[in-house]
Amino acid sequence: MTEFIQTLVLGLLVGGVYALLASGLTLIFGVMNVINIAHGAFLILAAFLTYSIWTATGLDPLVVIFLTTPTMFVFGWLLYQTTVGRIRRAPVAASVLLTFGLALVLEGVMGTIWGNTSHSVRPSYVNQSFSIGDVFLPKAQVFGGAVALVVLAALYLFLTRSWVGRAIRASAVNPQGAELVGVKIGSVAALTFAIGVASAGAGGSIVSVLYPFLPGSHYQWIARLLGIIVLGGMGSLPGALVGALLLGVAEAMTVTYISPAWATAVPYVFVFVILLIRPQGLLGTRLRQDVATA
Amino acid sequence: MSRLSALRSPWAALTAAAVLFIAFFPFFADDPYYQNMIILALVFAIGAVGLNIITGYAGYVSLGQGAFLGLGAYTAGILSTDIGGSPFVWVPVAGLLGALVAAFLGVVAMRARGHAFVILTIAFLFLVQLVATNWKELTNGTGGITLPLPTWSVDYQNWPFYYSLLGLLALSLLLSWWIRRSKFGMGLVAIREDEDKAATVGVNTRVYKMLAFVASAVFVSMAGAIYGYYLTFIDPAGMFNILLSVQIVLSLLLGGRATLWGPVLGAFIIEWLNEFTNNELGGGNTRLLIFGGLLALVVLFLPRGIIPSAQQLIEARRTRGKAGLVGERLDSAIELRERAAPAVADAGAHGAPLLEVKRLEKRFGGLRAVDEASFAVPEGSITALLGPNGSGKTTVFNLIDGTMTPDAGEVWFDGERIDRLPPWKRAHRGLGRTFQITRLFREMTVLENVVAPLRSFSFRQLTLGAVSGSEAARAEELLEFVGMRKFRDQPAWALSYGQQKLVELAQVLMLDPKLIMLDEPAGGINPTLIERIGETIRELNARGKTFLIVEHNMPFVLGLCRPVLVLARGKTIAQGSPDEIQRDPRVLDAYLGEDFRLEQPVGA
Repeated sequence: MTEFIQTLVLGLLVGGVYALLASGLTLIFGVMNVINIAHGAFLILAAFLTYSIWTATGLDPLVVIFLTTPTMFVFGWLLYQTTVGRIRRAPVAASVLLTFGLALVLEGVMGTIWGNTSHSVRPSYVNQSFSIGDVFLPKAQVFGGAVALVVLAALYLFLTRSWVGRAIRASAVNPQGAELVGVKIGSVAALTFAIGVASAGAGGSIVSVLYPFLPGSHYQWIARLLGIIVLGGMGSLPGALVGALLLGVAEAMTVTYISPAWATAVPYVFVFVILLIRPQGLLGTRLRQDVATA
Repeated sequence: MSRLSALRSPWAALTAAAVLFIAFFPFFADDPYYQNMIILALVFAIGAVGLNIITGYAGYVSLGQGAFLGLGAYTAGILSTDIGGSPFVWVPVAGLLGALVAAFLGVVAMRARGHAFVILTIAFLFLVQLVATNWKELTNGTGGITLPLPTWSVDYQNWPFYYSLLGLLALSLLLSWWIRRSKFGMGLVAIREDEDKAATVGVNTRVYKMLAFVASAVFVSMAGAIYGYYLTFIDPAGMFNILLSVQIVLSLLLGGRATLWGPVLGAFIIEWLNEFTNNELGGGNTRLLIFGGLLALVVLFLPRGIIPSAQQLIEARRTRGKAGLVGERLDSAIELRERAAPAVADAGAHGAPLLEVKRLEKRFGGLRAVDEASFAVPEGSITALLGPNGSGKTTVFNLIDGTMTPDAGEVWFDGERIDRLPPWKRAHRGLGRTFQITRLFREMTVLENVVAPLRSFSFRQLTLGAVSGSEAARAEELLEFVGMRKFRDQPAWALSYGQQKLVELAQVLMLDPKLIMLDEPAGGINPTLIERIGETIRELNARGKTFLIVEHNMPFVLGLCRPVLVLARGKTIAQGSPDEIQRDPRVLDAYLGEDFRLEQPVGA
């Protein structure tokens, strides 16, 4: 029983980090109809940045978030202006291929700068745990999950309470309508992409503490995040949260009760099962398509 | 397609030269380096030609094509080491297994659209790699599998591999060529252009997509098996490397999607680049930079690929300074009246209901777009469905033709309950519809658009030529009927909105439907054209077609239709003759009434 509770809590904590990472991906899809395959590469890039800053200054990686997030925001905005923005009106397939290309380039760049070896960021508390009764909770996991949820809450407040946030959500629901009431769709899309990349930045700093990483890790991460947003419903923020927590728990359970080697298969199985039984995802909706411009 | 014929001769000569060169390549190349290079190029080419079927024709991007290579190689590797036996058995078995796996993926992706399909193929690639790594009893995990060496004389070097791959490539090209000129291929292009629309004109999109996916996987799986024998050693990291998939996708994109030779051209360029980066630039990270960068650049700056772009350039030169047909006037409407005057239908006497809608319901979240709507369309009538914006008219259409499934209620058509049938089956039973915003297949010509509808489904039908003589004749007749015959070879995207409406009408008529549902036939077009559409409707009605029309143009509706149904807030609130409707207080209330308020926001 203790083992079960421990697994469940660890799964939920990791799920919180997944939720932060997946929210950026689902936001970008919802607003721009772009599947950002480079999302995994962005988060690994942020993890490497965290690593470099941590080794150079000794700053706590969770504090480094304050540096990686704005850096990645600017990076995302520039990337949108130079590449992604050009295919905003193209079919989804174009965006998949483009961002896939970007992911490969980033992987190559990271390999050149940091080398293709496993890195990890290990602050002093990495081997310490909180214990509540018989349940042990590693401090890194607890801090990481907590920080992720705080960032996620901030993102949620921004989207629901600020004018810009409402403009972003309006663009997601009805781009033409948003344009009619004075929202500049192009700028909103650029901003959304930058915010999405920035959230990958924050998530990447957290990931650098929780998992070892190398440039090629981005495949595994993007597969996981895609599994989450398919599960939750593509474009749905609450869906991303639910999907992330479910995946976090399912992976943790697989590690504990089946085998760590098969835990990586969980997101793929999620994709297969959800597409078979509920293609729109748990919290996704099917919208009328005939009035939208094709 | 006409632009192809102009290019046929230079292309044919080039192709013949390339084919000869490739067929006799072994006689002047015994350097193993070049042998290896061309064998890998053939593998890419087979992969890309297969990918072209699902991605080029049907428009579904797959990043899992490389997984079928690995699957084929592993099939051959496992079976030949565990059981022994000849490659001549295991290579076809690998093809069969690839086809089965593709069919399974097709089932999973059945209801999913483009973006979910891409994700599925990525998940598939990673999943098979994981299985190959983790299922050590079967695959020996990361240790890999060593395949038996070839049994032929060393004098033959690698040429048996070369010629069997060449044979596979020829088969793949033959399949691709045949698909492109068949009904099957036309259906795939229709799916690429507009999948929902394709379903409403009778294309069985599920079977089409599934078959396309299977067709795209068979030969590449066989090529994978041969490639496995050629390599003699396979492991998960090498065979399921995502860069293989990327290179296959790049071959297709670079050469040109939906062309016959594009993928082959692309494959040879990409393989050359592959060798160049490995040998001259050191591979590794540089490889990632080169192929990732190239993928991004092609998407941004050469989205159509080399062959289509070259064709476009030549075509642009050829037609420079010549006026197009598109701005021309329509054929004069007088012709229409000159034809045998049809007997005027007795608008008063209607037959039994052809279409019956019973307590139909559709919710979007908390909103009831259609709320227990019930009505009947008498056979032989021109029935109007009126209602304020957002009253649920188009949703009713979508529920009737199967674009959406109702949450409750029944739809009966011609004595049969149809509300659980897929759209194409409803089309086959005689239900045709047009859309509020026209939805022609943009990249097809007007004639191809009109020929695209299918009145039935059979596997034999898939093999028929895309446009048969009798179909073309009938399509031309219909185009003449709507006055658009002159435009038969124009691409649909070049037409004006009103012209598109007429072509869409001809397209629906090709189904020879019993009931024609028109969604705002007079919306957004000029008065002359409106008059013409009205006249066309009357004439068709006289020939026995029943109509259900959604329209906001009141004079048009009231002059044409009887009975008239009125929908408000998803409910049918009134029906009767135009006169009765105009006097009905509930209708006046719904349109103009002071105490009528939208209690809930209603989707337009």
